[in-house]
Amino acid sequence: MNRNLILFFASILIMSILVGCTDKELKVPLEDVGMVGIMAFDYIDENSFKLTVSIPQFSPEAKERAQIFSVTTDLISKGIVEIETLSDKKVVLNQLRVVLINEEFARKGNIQKAIHHLYRNADVGNKVLLAIVKENGEEMLKAEYPDKPNVNIYLNDLLQPSINTAFNPNTNIHDYMYTETNPVFDTIVPLLEKKEGKIEMDGIALFKEKHMLKELPEEEALIIQALLGRKKLAPLYLELNQAEQKEELMMDLINSKVSIKGNKNMESPKVSISLHIEGTLVEYRGGREKELVNIKGITKLEHDINKQIEKDIKEFLEKLSELKVDPIGLSENFRMYYKGKWNNKLKEEVISNLQVDVQVDTSIISTGTLK
Amino acid sequence: MSTNNRKILNGYHVIFLTQSTMIGTGILSLPQRLSSLGYSQAFVPLLFGVIASISLLPMIWISSQYKNDNLFTINEKLLGKPFGKSVNLFIVVHFTLFLAGIISNYMHLIQTTALSEQSSTIPVFFLLLLLIYIVSGGIKSIARFCTITFFLTIPMLYFLRWAIEKGELSHLLPLFNFNGSQFLDALKKGYISVLGYELIMFYFPYIINQKKALKHSLIGLWISIILCFITTLVSVIYYSEWQLKNIEYSVLHLFKAGEFTFIERIDIIGITFWIFLILSSAATYLWSAKKGIDSLRAKKKNYHTYLITLAIFLFVVIPYSREYQDKLFKLSYQISYIMLAWPLLLAVVHSLKKKQVKQ
Repeated sequence: MNRNLILFFASILIMSILVGCTDKELKVPLEDVGMVGIMAFDYIDENSFKLTVSIPQFSPEAKERAQIFSVTTDLISKGIVEIETLSDKKVVLNQLRVVLINEEFARKGNIQKAIHHLYRNADVGNKVLLAIVKENGEEMLKAEYPDKPNVNIYLNDLLQPSINTAFNPNTNIHDYMYTETNPVFDTIVPLLEKKEGKIEMDGIALFKEKHMLKELPEEEALIIQALLGRKKLAPLYLELNQAEQKEELMMDLINSKVSIKGNKNMESPKVSISLHIEGTLVEYRGGREKELVNIKGITKLEHDINKQIEKDIKEFLEKLSELKVDPIGLSENFRMYYKGKWNNKLKEEVISNLQVDVQVDTSIISTGTLK
Repeated sequence: MSTNNRKILNGYHVIFLTQSTMIGTGILSLPQRLSSLGYSQAFVPLLFGVIASISLLPMIWISSQYKNDNLFTINEKLLGKPFGKSVNLFIVVHFTLFLAGIISNYMHLIQTTALSEQSSTIPVFFLLLLLIYIVSGGIKSIARFCTITFFLTIPMLYFLRWAIEKGELSHLLPLFNFNGSQFLDALKKGYISVLGYELIMFYFPYIINQKKALKHSLIGLWISIILCFITTLVSVIYYSEWQLKNIEYSVLHLFKAGEFTFIERIDIIGITFWIFLILSSAATYLWSAKKGIDSLRAKKKNYHTYLITLAIFLFVVIPYSREYQDKLFKLSYQISYIMLAWPLLLAVVHSLKKKQVKQ
């Protein structure tokens, strides 16, 4: 008993003396951590780029709501270290939400390596959204958006999935890596453009292998999303030119369903696509306004819409076939039955020889409550 | 000690001991190990299950011939004292290395994801303390720990939801798109992930209903196999082939796919929760190794556990080159395969001896 008591006090004594041996810890309190919300890459030349980060500013005394730092660098982490010398805070990437890449970097630079770096980094989540910026990413971050709380929140909210921008592929880091490394896909990334006091989402950027190939308008991007099987699509605007007179209409899409079947034949590849869409006719302008009150008139309109969409899809797929790119993953229908290793060359072969058979089936569920 | 109160493991204990020992760090990187098969790897775990079930048979058979002896004693009885003891020593060293491999692998993962700004010495120390605590309660307390581990960690399957939502089922086709050498490569690298069931040769004497031991351990084995199958299946539908090959801890990235409104980084939670699985499988190995030293010295002493733990700690913490460390761990993985074939050899010796006695 006595011995135990002595042991007990001795150990307490030793422990209290040992405290002196600890290093002074360099733990950074939360207020001193600068959490990068947006990162932007701008092309300078083959080996270097301009790295801009935006860190939300929480101090009420600061005039600006976001701290923006820019450095020229050739490695991302080297750039971050350099930014740390400019910043009053410890810069971390844990809260990264958006990565902007300017168009020139996407066309010429090593975007693949930059994204690989972020994908490898355990601090960065996989849900970081990507976007291509026309012109300059640094300018977009530094611009004034007087009616927005700050650029971090604004850009993140803009790129989030929303029904009115359903053409937006919402590419995040995982999606980029998945489509980039998967030989049946070509990557698509939303495209942003800076306007006076706001940012506009202006179509999508289509990649071929490692680099950006061209931009696609919203309507074509919407076709991609429809064929990828997205259920909720953006309101659809259509122009019908079949009758003598020009007609315009707007449909809210409630549901869409797509099924794609390949013929399993690599020599003369053919896919049949059937798309079923349900929607409400919201607005119509044209010659048959009076016919639309009865079912017969609507059925006829549905028929015309089918034809128009079929034509649009066919034209778009022909364009893809000429470019030899496959953002929809149509070649997956052939890979599924191909023995051996699939590669980009096989995809290009399939896509460039691809014949398409499109069937669209539209049903207008309602036209509103007025007769 | 009378033989009666040694029998302490009931059927559920056997099921969960087998099940939890199999799931450790192996399953985290299983899709990567099988990646030479590409997309066709999805159904391979089921095949592993068949192989495992078959290799379980001789283990149970030889154990049931010596109802009150574990493998260490059987070795001595069948192979003679000197040779048996040296084999036992070999097994103990192998287990120690294997344990060090498991723990260093997990700590490496924790270091890169959750504790990236800290050296891992102190976490390893505490992990080993916990391990000693669990093991010092005996095989029954380990079995109970395994049971609770199963029920605590099985909800993590829910975290796979987002990956399943995003995945493409078409990746499963074509079904058998590989050749023989790719398959052998995957078998060699991947089978290590389902090891752990062979430890039944060590806790068999403690099982109450030894006649049903085969059935119970098969149930446990197939629970684990199905978990492995789910992992590879979800990985295949979610990843591209490049990702399968290059993502080391694919389960981690599967967890990364999801997000709650109130939790952002589910992967960190999942990976830190994984410690239960590590502890449960490491505890059974440590207990078996301790039994090994007991039989070597023909004494039962608690400090045998501490000795092994100390060795593991040194293996994990001492900063000798990682290359050398990896080589050692790889060697111990390969020895595990010998462990699978070992009961067959014993069975042959056993029947030869029987014949001799008859003559």
